[in-house]
Amino acid sequence: MPLRLRLTLWYGSALALILIAFSTVLYFVTARSLRDALDQSLEETAAAAVRSLEERGFLPLIDEDELMSQFPELARIDKFFQIFSPSGTITIRSPNVKQHELPLSRRALEVAFSGQTIFESAKYPKEPPLRLISVPIIYRGNLLYIVQVGTSMESVDQTLNRLLLVLLVTMPLALAVSLAGGWFLAGRALRPVDAITLAAQRIAAGDLTQRLNVAASPDEIGRLADTFNNMIARLEISFRQIRQFSSDASHELRTPLTVMKGETELALRRPREAGDYTVVLESNLEEIDRMTRIVDELLFLSRADMGEVKMEHLPVKLEALLEDIHRQASLLDQEREIQVVLGLVTPATVLGDELRLRELFLNLVDNAVKYSRPGGSVNITLATESGQAKISVADHGIGISTGDQTKIFDRFYRTDDARAHTKKGTGLGLAICAWIAESHHGRIDVQSEVGKGSVFTVTLPLAPNSP
Amino acid sequence: MRILVIEDETKVGCFIKRALEEESYAVDLCEDGAKGLEMALATNYDTIVVDLMLPSMSGLDIVKGIRRERIQVPILILTAQSQVDQRVKGLDAGADDYLTKPFAIDELLARIRALLRRGATDSPGVLQIDDLVLNPATREVTRGGQRIDLTLKEYALLEYLMRHSGRVLTRPMISEHVWNQDFDTFTNVIDVYVNYLRNKIDRGRTKKLIHTIRGSGYMLKAD
Repeated sequence: MPLRLRLTLWYGSALALILIAFSTVLYFVTARSLRDALDQSLEETAAAAVRSLEERGFLPLIDEDELMSQFPELARIDKFFQIFSPSGTITIRSPNVKQHELPLSRRALEVAFSGQTIFESAKYPKEPPLRLISVPIIYRGNLLYIVQVGTSMESVDQTLNRLLLVLLVTMPLALAVSLAGGWFLAGRALRPVDAITLAAQRIAAGDLTQRLNVAASPDEIGRLADTFNNMIARLEISFRQIRQFSSDASHELRTPLTVMKGETELALRRPREAGDYTVVLESNLEEIDRMTRIVDELLFLSRADMGEVKMEHLPVKLEALLEDIHRQASLLDQEREIQVVLGLVTPATVLGDELRLRELFLNLVDNAVKYSRPGGSVNITLATESGQAKISVADHGIGISTGDQTKIFDRFYRTDDARAHTKKGTGLGLAICAWIAESHHGRIDVQSEVGKGSVFTVTLPLAPNSP
Repeated sequence: MRILVIEDETKVGCFIKRALEEESYAVDLCEDGAKGLEMALATNYDTIVVDLMLPSMSGLDIVKGIRRERIQVPILILTAQSQVDQRVKGLDAGADDYLTKPFAIDELLARIRALLRRGATDSPGVLQIDDLVLNPATREVTRGGQRIDLTLKEYALLEYLMRHSGRVLTRPMISEHVWNQDFDTFTNVIDVYVNYLRNKIDRGRTKKLIHTIRGSGYMLKAD
């Protein structure tokens, strides 16, 4: 059932219950108060009659006209009265008791003997119902008379019937009007939801550039739309990254495949000398190694993304690690005579995975050596500053342009210089470095100037209890 | 036929160059985009093979640069990207054909033959002057139905002469289209090769096809 209908139905049922309860209470309260008022006026009239009898000393023969003239309230046309003897026979009665005999009921007589007043309702065919009060007059312990005053309940019944009619007509009308209003309001409130649904369907169909165009209101719907839009924006970004990543990955893998296919096909086009085949096979082996490296690094990164790479969390002495790397790096590029210098080193301990950190620093030093000019130098330093270790690897090589500096940590991103410089790079090394630094709650920054060199700085938080 | 290959992956460039040279084309290889465009504008190449992703200048910009100078040379783009939009951009920029890496060498050669054919729209797959027939696809040359065996260079020279038959071809023109940039123009190598060709094609036949135009160069024609 659509939400709009459900809301309207709930609202309608609640309103109907309230209206029914209200009408019922109203009807019965009105009926009760009308009857009370009637009874009260009967009581007053009866009291007047009793008073007149008392004043007359309960003489049995009271002249009717005299009674009327002395107690004008008895002469009201809407009431009649009868005075019964204790035997139940009528002694006197007002002239407006017309054609009907209205005998005293047995119950009224019994009650009169016990000295109590009684109200009764009586109904005669084709006549409006009557309301009667019977008051006993007791003098010195003896029942002398029973005064009965009666009146028609016609006006009370009419009023109640009118009220009932009004209620029966207006209540459904009010219910219908408010249901229509509720339906309209629910529709209006839910219209932005429909708009969101439509837009979301378009977006789900694959067009992530779409946004929900819902008026920016600070209400629930506005917030929902905002949340949706933010979510779609993030989705769009990560979809674009994935597309870029897989396109880059396929490009990087296609190049070695192209080389292998091309060289092999060329070799097979005609008979060659044995040495030619060796050259092709050696070249292919190089390409296979390159692909293996790319695939390994890709696998590492995708496992890292899924949080499946296990990281140690042990104290690592950075000064010892850097000395080790320095020793290793000195052997890197001897033919171009690049000097790797271990500069100022402050002892520092961080918590982390020594193997990964070694990979990180070795990668940076390896890069620095690769992009240095022959005879150049690479400086490694370690300093501590406000609870953090700062490891810098500086070279005086070709440098990185400002535009490239933000992108070099992206996967597969290689600057033109990097492509021209080293054919063996995979474009994943710095992405892995950045990941290692981040998984140690640290980061990598780069400062560089084209032609002058680059400084890569790794910042890692020191181990809590280290000096 | 002289071909420029602009490809930054050294190994890819090298095997393309070797494959083309084995088909008797003269090949120049360039690994840098901007330098490649310079070469393309400076020399009258018969076909240019260009990779899309290059340092210093993209293949797309090279194609645009060549077309901006109103040079009608056929261009074949190589792309590692399989995305349609890259190919569409390349073709729209003025490239004539594309090939996605990795590609088959046979296909590369066939596409280059097709592009060379397109240079002269009315020329069929097989070149024929009088009873001299040259088939670029099989590199088979016959005269009067008789097979003639040619070396790579002889074949390249003959193909160039036949594609431009009836026109005077100067020595610089011949060297530009048949030899690559490593060729030293101050030698008489061209005359030597023309003589080799004469020996194989015209010797012992009444109708001579290769003519020397004194002071200018050579011409291949039926009469």
